[in-house]
Amino acid sequence: MTRHVLLIEDNPGDVRLMQEAFRGADPAIELHVARDGLEAVAFLKREGSYAAAPRPDLIFLDLGLPKIDGREVLAGIKEDDSLKAIPTIILTASDAQEDIAKGYQLQANCYLSKPVQLEAFDSLMRGVVDFWLVKAKLPQHR
Amino acid sequence: MTVASDPAFVPGKSGGGAKDTSRWNRKVQIAFGSAMVTLLIVGGISYRAMMVSYESAQWVRHTHEVLDTLKDMLVGMSSIESAIRGFALTGNEDYLISYRANLLNIAEAQTAIRTLTQDNPSQQVQIPELEKLAAQKIERSEVVIGLRRTGGMAAAENAFRNGIGRQLMNGFQATVGNMQSEERRLLALRDVDAARSFDEAKIILIIGTFLGLSIAAAAGWSMQRDLNKRRVADEHLAQLEGRYRGLLEAAPDAMVVVNAAGDIVLLNVQAEKQFGYSRDELLGQKVKNIIPEGFAERLVADGTRTKADALDQRIGTGIELSGRRKDGSRFPIEIMLSPLESPDSGILVTAAIRNISVRKAADEHLAQMEGRYRGLLEAAPDAMVVVDTAGAIVLLNVQAEKQFGYSRDELLGQQVKNIIPEGFAERLVADALRSTEDALAQKIGTGIELSGRRKNGSEFPIEIMLSPLQSADGLLVTAAIRDISVRKQADEHLLLKMDELNRSNEELGQFAYIASHDLQEPLRMVASYTQLLSRRYKGKLDADADDFIGYAVDGANRMQRLIQDLLTYSRVGTKGINLTDISSEKALQHALVNLQGAIGESAAVVTHDPLPDVMADEIQLTQLFQNLVGNGIKYHSNDSPRVHISVARQGAKKWLFSVKDNGLGIDSQYFERIFGMFQRLHKREEFAGTGIGLAICKKIVERHGGHISVESQPGQGSTFRFALTGSE
Repeated sequence: MTRHVLLIEDNPGDVRLMQEAFRGADPAIELHVARDGLEAVAFLKREGSYAAAPRPDLIFLDLGLPKIDGREVLAGIKEDDSLKAIPTIILTASDAQEDIAKGYQLQANCYLSKPVQLEAFDSLMRGVVDFWLVKAKLPQHR
Repeated sequence: MTVASDPAFVPGKSGGGAKDTSRWNRKVQIAFGSAMVTLLIVGGISYRAMMVSYESAQWVRHTHEVLDTLKDMLVGMSSIESAIRGFALTGNEDYLISYRANLLNIAEAQTAIRTLTQDNPSQQVQIPELEKLAAQKIERSEVVIGLRRTGGMAAAENAFRNGIGRQLMNGFQATVGNMQSEERRLLALRDVDAARSFDEAKIILIIGTFLGLSIAAAAGWSMQRDLNKRRVADEHLAQLEGRYRGLLEAAPDAMVVVNAAGDIVLLNVQAEKQFGYSRDELLGQKVKNIIPEGFAERLVADGTRTKADALDQRIGTGIELSGRRKDGSRFPIEIMLSPLESPDSGILVTAAIRNISVRKAADEHLAQMEGRYRGLLEAAPDAMVVVDTAGAIVLLNVQAEKQFGYSRDELLGQQVKNIIPEGFAERLVADALRSTEDALAQKIGTGIELSGRRKNGSEFPIEIMLSPLQSADGLLVTAAIRDISVRKQADEHLLLKMDELNRSNEELGQFAYIASHDLQEPLRMVASYTQLLSRRYKGKLDADADDFIGYAVDGANRMQRLIQDLLTYSRVGTKGINLTDISSEKALQHALVNLQGAIGESAAVVTHDPLPDVMADEIQLTQLFQNLVGNGIKYHSNDSPRVHISVARQGAKKWLFSVKDNGLGIDSQYFERIFGMFQRLHKREEFAGTGIGLAICKKIVERHGGHISVESQPGQGSTFRFALTGSE
């Protein structure tokens, strides 16, 4: 059963790093990418070209996004009854206390800083996937 | 001279006493006068009665004399008749002797009767008839004598027989009888007169005597009564006088009583003391001796005034003069004069004399103080205004004139609201709940910022300082008014600069954020992808490629540490410091947890004393311990690293922390440098590091109000010391 992960990230370097990290992971995991807030909202609401988009099982969200800021996207997800149950993980370069606090206030399920070292990044991703997509029990949906 | 015996000193009612005395005297005079007059009248009347009586008696005697003389004449005539008859009958010459003697007697009687009846014309009228008849009788007798001698007895008898002799004799007898009856009538009249006079005299004497006695008795009784009254009054007076003396002696001031001539007639013990004389030395002396000027002059009338007027005009309170003591020294006095009328000494003046040296000195002191106060006021660099509680300006200095653009006269007496429209006058006025003093006490103070208004209407910021001033005219308020335009401008400038500084600090903070986020993003890309390159292609390209990739990876790693350290440093400086009561031991434990990896790698041993609670920012203190302990571990010698953290009291409030290691040690020439930014003592190959760690330590300690220092010798390890304030 395919698991859908949505990565909302504007930096192509980070997108690629993520894709590299997922390459060696479970092939049943499908990584989708939204490059800004608008795209993310469209994907989640299956609007426009995303009409056939799947409902993601896990969302990685960067905070600094063009058009619609990551915080607004997070707020939109957590206000939407059909989306709020999806585990949403903030994955950002910032480790500022203000950002961390704000993230949890907006009911992010987890806040992660992007590690500078490649090895650290890879192991973090493995851990997250293992926890949220393997170990954690998530609500079923059609 | 004793006071008690001096009748001059009749206090208060002295005028009435004098009147009493004169009335009493008049009464005595009238009583004695009327008694004397009565007696005089009685005496006069008695005398007159006596005189009348005496006269009456004279007249009675006189009448008797006349009667006797008339009888003598009659007897004489009868004797002549008899002698003539005898001679005529006998011719005896002896009869003629008797005849001749009787002739003489009759002549004498005639002379006497003429004299005696001179006062009585009716009798005098009869005298010529009497004398004529006597002469005729004598003539007839001589005829008979001749006839007898010549004619003998018969002739003589004939002569008798014709009866002429008889007729003459009868006529004589009748005339004498007339005169006798006249005299008897007079005698009776005079007897009645004398008796009446006597009776009158008797009655007047009795009445007069009674009257005189009555008056004398009445006067005596009245005088006795008056004397009694007077004695009572005298006793009362003596009592009053005693009280007056008591009063005089009890008076706190020197009291001197002076007569119109300027002589001292009375004084009290204070006067003795004050002037240094004994009583006897002053009594009767001129008052000029003790008050040389201004007093005696007041007692003397000049050409235009009476004494009483002079006194009235000049007497009063608070005449300031100069007194002279026995030793010649002078002292200022204030005298109060009051007139005192005395019946025998005329006007006396009581002078209360007060030594006002102390008051004078106080006045002078006050004047001096006032002068100084004025001087001070003018010397003050600020505008000074003194205001009464009604809000009126009562005093100001030249600075106030300048500052508000008014002249002094334009401000004096004016309302302070004219120059300070709001906030000052309100402070002077009590409201329903407070007295003026309370209001002032509550509102007075320093640094009340208000607005001043110049004459031209322009306003400027002022700072006033109020202080209350108790004066003779009531409560005043001194206001020091400072033009704070310049300071205000400076304040504004400062605020502007502060804003700028805050903004630049903010920008610095922004920079820190940019460094942490935006700079790290590309850095992470470089680091991640060089590592990815290295991971995927190491050994698959040539040796050069592997070197290049290696340098790139290393550079990216160093840059990452640099950015992290810079970020930490900027956060220490820009973030607010949060000083709380924390356990320094706990902060050290946190640091050691963070250093776990390094400690494990180098098998370091970190020990510490029990550490105290301090006032510090926990995150920063943790960072401080982490950097110092981290350095101790990192720059270790060949021995395995050992770090010990100890603490000691420094003064009452501070704790001195020491972090001692057994590492390489530092040459003393670098003691200052090592705390600077990017200062490194080792090659990169020897020790990795950014050269920011100790700069962060210095900054943290300084942010806590302390100073960090190092003590070290190369090869002997280093000890870093810093002090923190202990918790309260």
